[in-house]
Amino acid sequence: MKAFIVFVTLCSIAFAIEGEYCYTDVVRACQTTNKLSTSPINCTAKYGAIDAVEEGLQKYVNHHFLRSFEYLLMSTHFANYEKNRPGFEKLFRGLSDGTWHDAIELIQYITKRGGKMNFDLVSKEVKEEEVSEPNFELYELSAIAKALDTHKRLALEAHMLHSEAARKTSKYHDPEISSHLEREFMHKHRDIIRKLAGYTTDLNSLLVGPDSSLSLYLFDEYLQKE
Amino acid sequence: MKSFVFVVFFVCATAFAAEQLQCEHKKVDVPKDWLDMVDPCVEKMRGQIQEELKAAMQYMAMGAHFSRDTINRPGFAKLFFEAASEERQHAIKLISYLLMRGELTSRVSQLIRRNLVPKLTSWPSGVAALKDALRLEASVTKKIRDVIIVCESNPTQYNDYHLVDYLTGDFLDEQYHGQRDLAGKVSTLEKMMEKHGALGEFLFDKKLLD
Repeated sequence: MKAFIVFVTLCSIAFAIEGEYCYTDVVRACQTTNKLSTSPINCTAKYGAIDAVEEGLQKYVNHHFLRSFEYLLMSTHFANYEKNRPGFEKLFRGLSDGTWHDAIELIQYITKRGGKMNFDLVSKEVKEEEVSEPNFELYELSAIAKALDTHKRLALEAHMLHSEAARKTSKYHDPEISSHLEREFMHKHRDIIRKLAGYTTDLNSLLVGPDSSLSLYLFDEYLQKE
Repeated sequence: MKSFVFVVFFVCATAFAAEQLQCEHKKVDVPKDWLDMVDPCVEKMRGQIQEELKAAMQYMAMGAHFSRDTINRPGFAKLFFEAASEERQHAIKLISYLLMRGELTSRVSQLIRRNLVPKLTSWPSGVAALKDALRLEASVTKKIRDVIIVCESNPTQYNDYHLVDYLTGDFLDEQYHGQRDLAGKVSTLEKMMEKHGALGEFLFDKKLLD
């Protein structure tokens, strides 16, 4: 068993240089008369630095799910008859849908790179949020402020994963992962963050004065058409 | 974050500045006579939202499993990812219903809790996953029936005709059709695999991609 482990380790070290382990395994498997294993061990889709980034990506998926549910709650709050802000409902529902679909896309990406999904992992900071029992029933401006913060955190997490995959040592260098994060996440995050920041600017000036409820009504109408 | 909350609070609440941001507005006095849902039924509905999302995440785990390179069943993965989003839509439909009836004006933050992590994450075969999916649907159906029972004849003796009709006509209808579809798939696949194990699953998977 020990010898086997040493062998496998040696193989994985040599893998980058030689790169023909799937083929040699297949040749070996085809020669034996009784087929012991259906999956030749070195025929996975894994290459590059996916192992180094996999855990980070798994957490990122789970964070997306949690944020998606939080946005759904914020959207729900704006849709009750007392708040009655269909525009804000739509805005947060859109954020919820977006993070949900991004999570699915990210799972598919992990598996595309030969990885697997782990639904248990979340980062320490996200885990700690549970203690404070966050409130998602917010006023209009505070809700947008919260969403802006949340989305910035998602964007920065992508930056962090990107830097993991962009280190120049061969074990960590994986331009495919960096490129994927850029293409599928970073530009999208940029637009969402800009949009939300713009909304806070608008509301910041619209809500000044003794009665801002008319401003909110009109802003909500605007959001409905967005 | 804390300091941020403080700043927002400060900006919103202080009356110092001449030009003051007004972020909060008074609660309006809307007559309550039209609110006729009773507590046990509302609680059951809130619980059902959580159940639908749990089912969504369980389907998500199935989608993730069949997407793996060493499993390589894109048809199954597609089926399960779509089922996951569908379950989430059910949760949203239930939320919309409660909102329409004037509910969810409070305790919205506690509506979805963080215990949605799927229990099972790998399956020995496509058939095994389809059977699990069918069991999952059956358990969701049973839970919808439980909601109906509570909303029809709860201790307060209030029959919520409209909700019961909605759950029966809309949700149960979809459940039964979905279950029949899954059961059919289990049969077909298991028959295909009896003599042609690996080939059967391979062909069935590609069929699911259509």
